[in-house]
Amino acid sequence: MKTATLNKSDLGKCIDLLVQADLRVIAPRLQPRLDEDGPDAIDVLTFTEVDSGEGHQVGEGLLPLNGVKEFLFAKHEPLFAYEKRGKKIEIIPVHHEYPQTVIIGVRPCDAASIASLESVFSDANAGFEDPFFTERRSRTTFITYSCTAPDASCFCTSVNLSPDSAKGSDLHLTEIGDGRLHVEVISKAGEAVAKQLQDLLEGEGDQAAREKAGAEVSEKLTRIRDSAPIMDWLMDTANFDDEMWQRLGEKCIGCGACTFACPTCHCFDIVDENKGSKGYRVKFWDSCQFDHFTLHASGHNPRDWQYKRYRNRFNCKFKIYPEKFETPGCVGCGRCIRACPVNLDITEYMAEVAHKAANPSAMKADQDSE
Amino acid sequence: MSNIYQPDLMTITKIIQEAPGIKTFHLKFQDENVASNFSFQTGQFGEYSAFGAGESTFCIASSPTRPDHIECCFREVGKVTTALANLTEGDTIGFRGPYGNTFPLDDWRGKNLIFIGGGIALPPLRSVIWNCLDLREQDGRFGHISIVYGARSVQDLVYKREIEEWNQMENVTMVKTVDPGGETDDWDGHIGFVPHVLENDFKPDPENTVAIVCGPPIMIKFTFEALERLGFKQEQMVTTLENRMKCGLGKCGRCNIGSTYVCIDGPVFTATELAALPQEF
Ligand SMILES: Cc1cc2nc3c(=O)[nH]c(=O)nc-3n(C[C@H](O)[C@H](O)[C@H](O)COP(=O)(O)OP(=O)(O)OC[C@H]3O[C@@H](n4cnc5c(N)ncnc54)[C@H](O)[C@@H]3O)c2cc1C
Ligand code: SF4
Ligand code: SF4
Ligand code: SF4
Ligand code: FES
Repeated sequence: MKTATLNKSDLGKCIDLLVQADLRVIAPRLQPRLDEDGPDAIDVLTFTEVDSGEGHQVGEGLLPLNGVKEFLFAKHEPLFAYEKRGKKIEIIPVHHEYPQTVIIGVRPCDAASIASLESVFSDANAGFEDPFFTERRSRTTFITYSCTAPDASCFCTSVNLSPDSAKGSDLHLTEIGDGRLHVEVISKAGEAVAKQLQDLLEGEGDQAAREKAGAEVSEKLTRIRDSAPIMDWLMDTANFDDEMWQRLGEKCIGCGACTFACPTCHCFDIVDENKGSKGYRVKFWDSCQFDHFTLHASGHNPRDWQYKRYRNRFNCKFKIYPEKFETPGCVGCGRCIRACPVNLDITEYMAEVAHKAANPSAMKADQDSE
Repeated sequence: MSNIYQPDLMTITKIIQEAPGIKTFHLKFQDENVASNFSFQTGQFGEYSAFGAGESTFCIASSPTRPDHIECCFREVGKVTTALANLTEGDTIGFRGPYGNTFPLDDWRGKNLIFIGGGIALPPLRSVIWNCLDLREQDGRFGHISIVYGARSVQDLVYKREIEEWNQMENVTMVKTVDPGGETDDWDGHIGFVPHVLENDFKPDPENTVAIVCGPPIMIKFTFEALERLGFKQEQMVTTLENRMKCGLGKCGRCNIGSTYVCIDGPVFTATELAALPQEF
């Protein structure tokens, strides 16, 4: 693997070079979350398209509010347009731009989530390829950045990742002290980007310093929980009716914030946006936490209680993704924990399941004596 | 790059009002190429669109042995189905499909078949009934065929003409029923819920027989229980599920029962397969 070093202070120049190479560059920046002039305008770390390195926050803070999902799987997009002409309909393809894109400053958890989305939207899933996703995916390069300051909600180390993981990365950066970054070229796309940046890259990297830095940050993550037994426990259908689901899920209010924030959530709705005789058929993010998500037209609803909707979400992350799509459902980014208005913490479920998996007879005895 | 979400256009060549709020459409592809390349198998479904309102999931209600056109039959229950119901002959709708798995006709060779349906659930059964009747006519590959069908009331029975046609056929036993209170003065069928009539009046012999059940989830549950009491084993019972769907392609995440996506892994399941799933459907 090719390595190099880069001065951290040159990151802005890197962005400039990429912009000059006619690439669309997306980087973290501090942006007012609400109306810029409004009284509630608070600057939040956000991935946004930039036209220069000015004000970039690559390597600063922790996770941008939005993650990279929306740049591959649009929040809302027209699939085609139609026009009614008497008894006839004309379908008009919509023109989408798929510019060559570099996303810089991606954290390892977000980078690892891309393979999960790809396993759903690519033709590996039932032979159907969502071209809107795959076109963007094939034109996007990810420059990742090892974490230095994980917060209390991070738990990547519980799901086979680490704050310095390069999974899903094309070009990986790790701070190695003295204002220097260790640069690793991971893929062909990463090599192409490294070429654009070659005037700023120096000699060889420092593998030992990089590994040491990674290990030091991993140690800060104290929420280490072994997630391996979780899938096994979920695979036993008898546990689908465990008392835990209702007890822990009772407080969920079904707002859907966790699913919109989650880098691996892929669910969407399809509707027509119509005006007069024309309109668009659009696809937009949806959430399994909403009560009408699975409601049949007859009024029957297989997930008729909120705890069942949360049970689906937990199963989606730790059973459905790994079993059906053979990719991780949860990358441990902690966004769902930070976003939840009622402090529902997915790691509480994980801990409870891990405990039940480790002590099957004890738990059963508990229930019997109740 | 082909757009998996883009439907093909079809013309409504005929509309039949089956019962109050229930219509059948006969549909033909507008593009010759699409028409000549199209094929499907019984049990599969499609996404039908009324442009301006959106898409709805219906099974293909006609038999692949009658490929001149395809049919769908739907109940008006919401936005899209109402918009569809307001269309007239000659109008254009969108169609994506066929999607999903199929009834395992090969496994049924040499067996007696009992089709059991309730309410609007006759459309998927109608496709497989005609398919099996036509194939039996060709080469005698199935044994005796029985049809047990019930609706809330006499006026809610769909496919009234065909029920009569099946009634007249030799080699077909037609058992029709309406819920208590739904009968008319001249009703010549049974009175009672489908599972009840099945178990107490029709009493089919499970020997070398497959039961195919379609209906609302609650009816499927009670019918399976009745069949088990009659001695049917789980692998002799087949059904289709109607989980809410949007994409039909395994992408939108709406139709799953645990790790099973009804749109790509179903909609046809045996009772054995259903029993192995989390009971959330
Ligand atoms: C594999 C499969 C096969 C199917 N086959 C058939 C078939 O052959 N024939 C058939 O008829 N159906 C079939 N269905 C069911 C069919 O897909 C739905 O009935 C249909 O999509 C409803 O669409 P809609 O847009 O009209 O309803 P929507 O407008 O989407 O309404 C559906 C939901 O909104 C609610 N809703 C809508 N309007 C109102 C209102 N006025 N008041 C209160 N609530 C309301 C309903 O409770 C319902 O949950 C099938 C489903 C599946 C998954
Ligand atoms: S489930 Fe939560 S922690 Fe896991 S990937 Fe999604 S948002 Fe991140
Ligand atoms: S089912 Fe729920 S948890 Fe799973 S991807 Fe969809 S919205 Fe996310
Ligand atoms: S963010 Fe919290 S309250 Fe909202 S749906 Fe998710 S778990 Fe429930
Ligand atoms: S209907 Fe979209 S995943 Fe099954």
